[in-house]
Amino acid sequence: MSGPLSGTRGIVLTQAWAGSWCTSLLGQMGADVVQIEVRKRPDSWRGDYAAPLPSQVRDRPNAVNPWNCNPLYNSVNLGKRCITLDLGTEQGMAIFKRLLPFADFCAENFSPRVLGNFGITYEQMCESKPDIVLASLSAYGHSGPWTNIPGIGGTIEPSSGMSGMLGYEGGPPLNSGQMFPDAIAALNGVAGIVTALRHRDLTGQGQYIDLSMMESSLAAVGDAYLEYSMTGQQRPRLGNHHPSFAPHSIYLASGEERWVAIACEDEVQWRALAEAAGQGWAEDARFASMASRKANEATLDQVIAAWTSGQDRDHLASRLSAVGVIAAPVLDALELAEDANLRAREVIRDIDHPEVGVFPQVTLPMHFSRTKPQAPRPAPQQGQHNHEVLAELLDMSADEVDALIRSGVSGGGPPD
Amino acid sequence: MAEVMSGESNSPRALAGVRVIDISTSPAAAWTSRLLADAGADVVLVESPEGHPLRRTGPFAASGTSIPEAQFLANKRSITLDLEDGASLEVARKLIAGADIVVSSFTPSRLEALGLTYASFGRPDLIMTHVTPHGMTGELAEVPGNDLTVGARSGWASINGTEDREPLKPAAWTSSYCAGIAAYGATVAALRWRDAHPGEGQEVDVAVTEVMAATFAPGMLRSLYTGKAQTRQSADDQLAGPVPVADGHFALTLSRAHFWRDAMNLLGLEDLAEDERYGASWFRQAHREEYSSRVAEAMSHWKKMDLFEELAIRRVVAGPVLYMPELRATDHLEARDYWRHAADDRGGPEYPGPAYQMTSTPQTLDRHAPRTGEHSDEVRQEVQS
Repeated sequence: MSGPLSGTRGIVLTQAWAGSWCTSLLGQMGADVVQIEVRKRPDSWRGDYAAPLPSQVRDRPNAVNPWNCNPLYNSVNLGKRCITLDLGTEQGMAIFKRLLPFADFCAENFSPRVLGNFGITYEQMCESKPDIVLASLSAYGHSGPWTNIPGIGGTIEPSSGMSGMLGYEGGPPLNSGQMFPDAIAALNGVAGIVTALRHRDLTGQGQYIDLSMMESSLAAVGDAYLEYSMTGQQRPRLGNHHPSFAPHSIYLASGEERWVAIACEDEVQWRALAEAAGQGWAEDARFASMASRKANEATLDQVIAAWTSGQDRDHLASRLSAVGVIAAPVLDALELAEDANLRAREVIRDIDHPEVGVFPQVTLPMHFSRTKPQAPRPAPQQGQHNHEVLAELLDMSADEVDALIRSGVSGGGPPD
Repeated sequence: MAEVMSGESNSPRALAGVRVIDISTSPAAAWTSRLLADAGADVVLVESPEGHPLRRTGPFAASGTSIPEAQFLANKRSITLDLEDGASLEVARKLIAGADIVVSSFTPSRLEALGLTYASFGRPDLIMTHVTPHGMTGELAEVPGNDLTVGARSGWASINGTEDREPLKPAAWTSSYCAGIAAYGATVAALRWRDAHPGEGQEVDVAVTEVMAATFAPGMLRSLYTGKAQTRQSADDQLAGPVPVADGHFALTLSRAHFWRDAMNLLGLEDLAEDERYGASWFRQAHREEYSSRVAEAMSHWKKMDLFEELAIRRVVAGPVLYMPELRATDHLEARDYWRHAADDRGGPEYPGPAYQMTSTPQTLDRHAPRTGEHSDEVRQEVQS
């Protein structure tokens, strides 16, 4: 058994984060995902061909090619195979079109004009594969006056209404620490493609999915739009606070950068917190009800912070969790990689990559009791599966593939 | 059943005829079933007599209606059942007996106590989707959590916000939405498997923390490859996020050499534009203090939409910070027919549209958010008949 999508194949033109991670998730769910990459215009998340190797990778014996050792690329391409084809050449495009009939779905996240320039719009793909599902992930969608405005996560976050919601109370709008809209688009791309595949199975009809990152990000703060439509008000930035519940924040524990999140959504949790703290909070009239705690939230945060500052982060989070208070340590990236629970649940796994070797990676965040997916293959090296895929799907001989490589239509690494 | 059909509803629905029973109480699980409903499934929300917890969660409209209630519970029917009461529990079990999918947010011990475990239904064809903070197995399965703790445990809080302040959770309920989308996709994948393999249902287990940890994967692996945990940004980093302009904030993410050159020329900073060293992003990062105040000053004279338009012409990736009233006013979203009303409540609140457009099987918003138990009689009759 290898996941609920086993037996399904994607021939995909995805890159960077949104498209790549979307098709990686589908691959990790069991689909055979073949990534097509163009060496002249490599995936931007592979980085520059001449980039230096990252410090912790540099000394690994097989780490040679920087483009196969980029953490960004390698983080969002698990579970795929990769072949290279120069789609700008007649021969490369002809091979792509011969591959399409083997695909159940295609996905791409070029700028909206690119597919048309290549002559592979949805309608044109249907000539090769009439029931194909195609998902286009773009900044602003494939119609409307902004369709050709370029965008990336860091600019869609502001323009979608998300940055306006992220920030400290009374402070300026912020972007997330990483380009969050890409991740939202990827998850939605999975949802749309799987839905379209089911519809195709039942009806024989493929379809086109037009995913605008602006719209998928706006939908992820959709309640704030609804609030505007129902009240005429823009919700202010709330920091870590909640519209209704208090306490609800992140406090410094003992030590530097040791933070703990604490929230109480009802009186039972509040009394449990007050008892655990032993500071007489339960008897304090300012904190007697959710409404009064919310009204005195600044004071509440101060007294809680004064208490947490003397506590060990992890011990405090466990102690509060055990008595039913909503609490958690704030993990940094390196701590996350070692998280015992995520490792036990096999969401974080050691992945062995042919060049960089073994690193922990976050894999599929979905568990299926019957159709259990296998551990994913590592992110592919550029062109790693040229021979394998072209032989398997198109019955091409090793000599034929070698000829493609010699002519530069396929291959791996910087073009000559 | 007479229904007011929405404009698009002549199109086929991807999940027509799929019956979902939602016994969940969290925003992430509520979003899962909301997406199933938008795709055409019949979703019956089983609520306790005091109502779904989101009905008591702010913010509230002047009428007293909860905004999260209107958002997360729309497009579903509601039946009130006290799962602690034997007779009501029997009705719930009958509903589930006729369902394709159950959506739950209960912990393993709570499901056990209610007598609503997957095994108890004795139906291998049933799909039961669990959407919980930490998953149905492992040491945290019984530990409570919400979007705040998800931000903490997934790594996101450690990099959101600024280095001089506390870590920040992702905004609002974005973590719950992400988990809801993932759980929806996983559920439809399980359904598609069952279509092809009749009788083969299964349990789907989606943890909100794990979905958000997965969205953090690039940050985690970069930190491992460099041996240094990614940190929060400095408050005035023009390359990292929005900075002030004349009428708000604006993000320049100058990731390519020509973005820098064209943006600096537009801002009247020709010497910065022509200095080729700034074409490299590592150089810009390392020499921020040499241009930061000049760029800030130049930007302060621009209005955000003017700057957006001029940079768009030059194909420079940039973005204005837009707020909900401004988004409502954009001709772009209007042209894409983004906004919508529930088909049975045209005079009701206006909703944001779907996250992606499915051209053959569009998602539709057919029903207003139900009152608690609004469809109790109707749904009970369907069970009996």
